[in-house]
Amino acid sequence: MGVWEALIGPLGFAAKSLRRRGFHSYLAFLGLTLTVATTTFLLLIGQDLAARLGIDSSMRSTFGISWLILAYLVLALALISIVGLLSSSYLVSSMINQRMRDIGVIKAAGALPRRLLSYVTFEAFVVIFSSCLVGALSALLIYASWSWPSISLYKQVGPVPNTGATVLIVVPLISFLLCYVVASVRVRRIVGSSSVNAISRQLSNLDLKSLGKPLRIKRLGSAFNLATRSMSRDRGFNRTLLSVGLCVFLSMVVLSGALVSADTSASYVTRAMPPHILIVANSNIYNQYVTLGKLFSRTTPVPSVNYLNQSYIITPQNASAFRAIPGVETVDTRLITMTSITGYVKAHFASNQDTGENINTQIIPEVETGTTQALIVGIDASNAIGEWYTSDGFLQSNDAQYTMIAGDSVVGNIVQMPLNLSQVSAFNFRYDIKSALVDPLNAGRVLYAPVQTVQGNLGVNGYNVLLLKVNNDPAASSAVSQLASSHGLVVGSQDPILNSNLAFLNATWSYIFLVPILALALTCGILLSYLATNFSRRFNDYVVLKILGANVWYRLKLLIWESWGVLAISMLIAIPGAWAVSIFFLVPDPSVSVADLELSTLVSTLALTSVSLATATIYSRRLGLTTVKDLKP
Amino acid sequence: MDLQDEEIEVRVRTLAVDFVGVSKEYLVNGKPVKALASITLNVKEGEIAAIVGPSGAGKTTVLNLIAGLEKPSEGDVKVLGLDLAVSSEHALSAFRSANIGFIFQSYNLVSTLTAEENVELMMELAGWSDSGRNEKLTAELMNMVGLTDRAQHLPAQLSGGEQQRVAIARAMANDPPLILADEPTGNLDQKTGLEIVKLLSRLKGEKGKTLVVTTHDDRMVEMADVIYRLENGGLGSVDRPVRVRS
Repeated sequence: MGVWEALIGPLGFAAKSLRRRGFHSYLAFLGLTLTVATTTFLLLIGQDLAARLGIDSSMRSTFGISWLILAYLVLALALISIVGLLSSSYLVSSMINQRMRDIGVIKAAGALPRRLLSYVTFEAFVVIFSSCLVGALSALLIYASWSWPSISLYKQVGPVPNTGATVLIVVPLISFLLCYVVASVRVRRIVGSSSVNAISRQLSNLDLKSLGKPLRIKRLGSAFNLATRSMSRDRGFNRTLLSVGLCVFLSMVVLSGALVSADTSASYVTRAMPPHILIVANSNIYNQYVTLGKLFSRTTPVPSVNYLNQSYIITPQNASAFRAIPGVETVDTRLITMTSITGYVKAHFASNQDTGENINTQIIPEVETGTTQALIVGIDASNAIGEWYTSDGFLQSNDAQYTMIAGDSVVGNIVQMPLNLSQVSAFNFRYDIKSALVDPLNAGRVLYAPVQTVQGNLGVNGYNVLLLKVNNDPAASSAVSQLASSHGLVVGSQDPILNSNLAFLNATWSYIFLVPILALALTCGILLSYLATNFSRRFNDYVVLKILGANVWYRLKLLIWESWGVLAISMLIAIPGAWAVSIFFLVPDPSVSVADLELSTLVSTLALTSVSLATATIYSRRLGLTTVKDLKP
Repeated sequence: MDLQDEEIEVRVRTLAVDFVGVSKEYLVNGKPVKALASITLNVKEGEIAAIVGPSGAGKTTVLNLIAGLEKPSEGDVKVLGLDLAVSSEHALSAFRSANIGFIFQSYNLVSTLTAEENVELMMELAGWSDSGRNEKLTAELMNMVGLTDRAQHLPAQLSGGEQQRVAIARAMANDPPLILADEPTGNLDQKTGLEIVKLLSRLKGEKGKTLVVTTHDDRMVEMADVIYRLENGGLGSVDRPVRVRS
């Protein structure tokens, strides 16, 4: 104690002031430390996940699905950063506002404004710096003790180039700089204003426009009416409402965004490979097709097969025989082969306007974009089984003969945007690219073309894979098996391929769901800080009510209405807003499970409500210990 | 004096506040500190009791004990016939909202409520749910303290004297038999303080209220029927100037 008391200058002022303010100093330090620690830890986890999943999905998955997952992660981490920084600056602003009266008194007592400014700013610096430092160290400790080795993803991918050091420095540093700027500006404004205003800060916190006939709902009782009056008249509450609403909104975007993205990625796969579909092919081609289908979820090498071996070809007559079986609804006839393809950007005109009125047009010559191995699927567009997610639609019967739809993993390298300028050379023929699709087959390194064109290019009259959509009648499936057997073909369900791919997606998203769950925890912590700050600020009013005879239940109801009221209004605006953003702006052609959205809303509502009720209960109990002596002058 | 008069006299003389051997100890940094040491005092209904003494003598502790905000470490505290030491927290809250009006040195109006809402709040706390009647009574009280034209103002928009007058109206709002005032003129200038003293004396004279006032203000002390002088937590002296005068 002696050491602190002996300090002079800004450090002595800060040390004495913080010691005297006790609980409030501790609360400010704790709130800020928690926010910085949680934000830093979340970003550390997030960048590690992104690195591991990026490596993992580059070996499997498809470009489109990987992009969706990584885009979600980047967005989530960006939103978490905003929530963290917003919350930190709000807490610092509240901390300085609580010092407004003291600053006014010291100034009125004759302190030189410049010296007062430097002293109070230094006091804020001490709190902010120590919070950011302790927050960063706490985040590092939690991250280091995180049980990565027990998680299968860690085992699969192993060590990754870690950017943790950057996050660990950048996040606390930005938090510190932002908080310090907010504190400096706030202190400068208070020191610059008149002492009278600073001392009588009560009026500056109230919104005089909302005076007049207040809301009075008799059924909800006096506590509710008092809470609504306080909330509508207190500018602090309005600021809290805005901050809490924004934090809840961003967290809900992270949470519901994860669910919508997970559902959508699963729907992309399911639409490309619908369930309850039979695969009919020669056993070698069947095995090859299953391997190609599971390449989305496995990294097994694809054996070399002569896809066009005559013994593997199913004649059109045999295909028609399958079509004739009662109960067979669709026969998707395919001719697949693996071949080398070369991508091109067609020669085209490019126009650009110079600084004047002139428009310059020049010819861009054809450009080769590269060569790779890809699976070509000749398909009958009118009987295709699959409703792929496409950029510009699937093949149509009226499309030009040499038209292809490119799988998402060849887009961006072999096939470049805009697609109408892209061409692919296969079997020494040039195909125009019409559209792109998300397809797990051969992990997205696939191109779909009209089957007649592929047959013509390869000189093959027939197919090597049939996909059959059969009704639920077991007799139909039995007839298909008998007919296939009679032609030396095997029959298998597409479901194991689909299930394997969906299991991989589920596993991937289960790692990612850690991010929204921790983001919700961060929001709960922030809500706790906001409510604690507001309750501390209004504590004198609550003590007055207690002394005047407000019983425990009345006080608890008042605190609950004030805390839960802020939360309820925030959630009422934030949750539908977050749903709208997640559904309409986050992913293209989203698939939304109402049950998932309901679950996410229920979980977040329960978590946040629990925090508000717990805060109200803690403060109610704290009020129970107060007496007249606790009233502030 | 006939029998009826005697009965009235007996009723008037009922004790509003009755302390017998009351002590109060606090723990400060783990060490017991005695705020009150075996005090016995009583205030009769309709009296004004002034509790005087230097800062730290235990004046506010006495008010806390009367209001049931704290329980005595030793001794009996009876207020309006109720033994506060054995009452539950809920019962004490109900007792306060129905029977006690508070006036503080720092006014302590609820900052987000207007002057009339502060007064009306007290009626709601007392369980008076007829809002029409409450509004009418509030208007009468605001008129009584001369603040009808300031009824729609927030505490921060009122001067110290005006805020204290609102606090007096609030203390009267639930029509309590007992009013506790903690240095009600302590923050006011001479002239405004005098207005408050006059207003408080009217509470006794016109409304028949019992007042317990902690004060350093001589005008308040002069008005008192009984004066308890506290020194270092103990009772230094008791004067009953009104009785002497009568």
